[in-house]
Amino acid sequence: MSGGRFGGLAVCALGALLTAQPLNRLSAQHVSVGPQIAFGDYREVSSDLHYRGTGLGVKATVLWKKFSADVVLSKVKYKPRTPAATANFDASEVDVRLRYYVTGPVSAELGFINRKMDPEFEAQSVGAVTLGARMAYVLGPGVHMSLNGGLLFGSKFSGGGTTSALGALQLGLGLTVDALHGRVLVTGDYGFQRFSRKTDDGSGALPAPIQQSLGRVGFAIAF
Amino acid sequence: MHRSTSWLVALALVLPAAAGAQTIRNPTLRRAQQAFDNLDYRQALTIAISSLRERLTGFERARAYELLGFTYSGMDSILKAVDAFKQVVLIEPERDLDPNRTSPKALSAFQVALTQILVVRQLRVDSVSFIGGQGAVGIRYTVTQPSRVVTRVTGGTLGSIRIDSTVANGQVNIRWPARMSSGDPVPAGTYNVVVEATVGQNSFSTSQPIRIAHGAVDTLPHLTSLPGYTYLPETEVPPKSWRPMGLALVYSGIALAGTSALSHGNLGSASMREGGMIGGGIVLAGFVMTLKKPAPQPARGNILYNSLLREQIAGRNTEIAQENTRRRQQVALSVVPLPRIGGGR
Repeated sequence: MSGGRFGGLAVCALGALLTAQPLNRLSAQHVSVGPQIAFGDYREVSSDLHYRGTGLGVKATVLWKKFSADVVLSKVKYKPRTPAATANFDASEVDVRLRYYVTGPVSAELGFINRKMDPEFEAQSVGAVTLGARMAYVLGPGVHMSLNGGLLFGSKFSGGGTTSALGALQLGLGLTVDALHGRVLVTGDYGFQRFSRKTDDGSGALPAPIQQSLGRVGFAIAF
Repeated sequence: MHRSTSWLVALALVLPAAAGAQTIRNPTLRRAQQAFDNLDYRQALTIAISSLRERLTGFERARAYELLGFTYSGMDSILKAVDAFKQVVLIEPERDLDPNRTSPKALSAFQVALTQILVVRQLRVDSVSFIGGQGAVGIRYTVTQPSRVVTRVTGGTLGSIRIDSTVANGQVNIRWPARMSSGDPVPAGTYNVVVEATVGQNSFSTSQPIRIAHGAVDTLPHLTSLPGYTYLPETEVPPKSWRPMGLALVYSGIALAGTSALSHGNLGSASMREGGMIGGGIVLAGFVMTLKKPAPQPARGNILYNSLLREQIAGRNTEIAQENTRRRQQVALSVVPLPRIGGGR
């Protein structure tokens, strides 16, 4: 799938960009990396195809001047919750967000997601470009929360299908709590995605929506 | 007469003390003094006149004439008393009578004697320190007759500089900036301030030695604060409020409501498990933060105030640096009068 290649290249490029920084310049950045436990809810086409699962993830965050970037890699093992859904599958997701601080609590976000299913035909792999905004607020010393939302453009699905311009949406919630004088961060993220996908087998457009709710809880080492 | 006699007695008692460190060694003059002390004026007069024909020191000669002046005053021979006092002043121009211990007759005779001869008395040079070009030395003297008085400074590499020329009578005050004709400060060294008074063929001069020393001008210390102004804290702790809890509820509510609203109808009711857990965590964090002491926030007013204060101090320090640069090129002059050797002439 082209979306997969695109996601892999972007992750490699971002990794190279971060590691290519000289040490003295890295010290001017805020970098944190840490593992997360992921738990999700996945639905596709109708309420009969309902899955839930848990897995692991890794989240890296870089903050540099007005720019920041989040890279999240996660793998969730989904299990059927309805009789119509018969097989387990793994959802491996790459979520990359580049953020630019605009004003007050508001930042603009640009990124992409790429979710690959294994086995490939048990669920729809998907890739899309994300564009949105994020509002962040400091709840107290070392406690930050954020709310983000946006549209998913150029969605590509392994089984075909399209979405309208406003048909693919995402919504998110984030929490970061500093611990050990900011050397360790406790992180919690929630992401909701909805693709109002439609397929056409020649008999007209048929709705085949995809929806995922993914929660992640973990910690990160800041340096 | 009785009153003047008591004055003279009193004078006689203090006269040895007034003589200071110098003493009368001539026996004739001593006998004259003793006769005067015994109020035997005729005897005192005879012996004092005869003592003047003997070899006397300048001090003894001045005392002999002074004794004659007091004696003539006691005998009401004012003109002779004036003549005697004139001789005293000519020998010791700085000589003064204590008005509290001298009879009015003798005092008036002494004052008349002063007006009849030309002397420059009581030459004084102030002991001062000042920055070259920004101060002056005070010089005072008294001239007893109307005369042309020229004041000069001599000595060292200076040669002679005329610093004042005036027609004066009585007390004269002048101020000398201690500069040469080029405007430069007078070099360090020992000098004489010479005052010369002239009337017709009569002239009188006196001098006062002084020492001029050069020193560095004190520089100003740089400021670290302005008097009356102190830096204010640049952060302040806001009062506790329910704002964190409220915002946590709003953010979580928006996320959950958004999830519910955006959920696709074909897929059944949206799962709130994931959003609820993270949202619950945020609400819990907001509640804890509401109870906790709020984080210090930047106090913009204080930051601006401190910035202005720093600018003021920096500006003042720039001025001080410029002033210090100027001061390092200046010289501090110290003028000290030295003990005088001998009198005037």
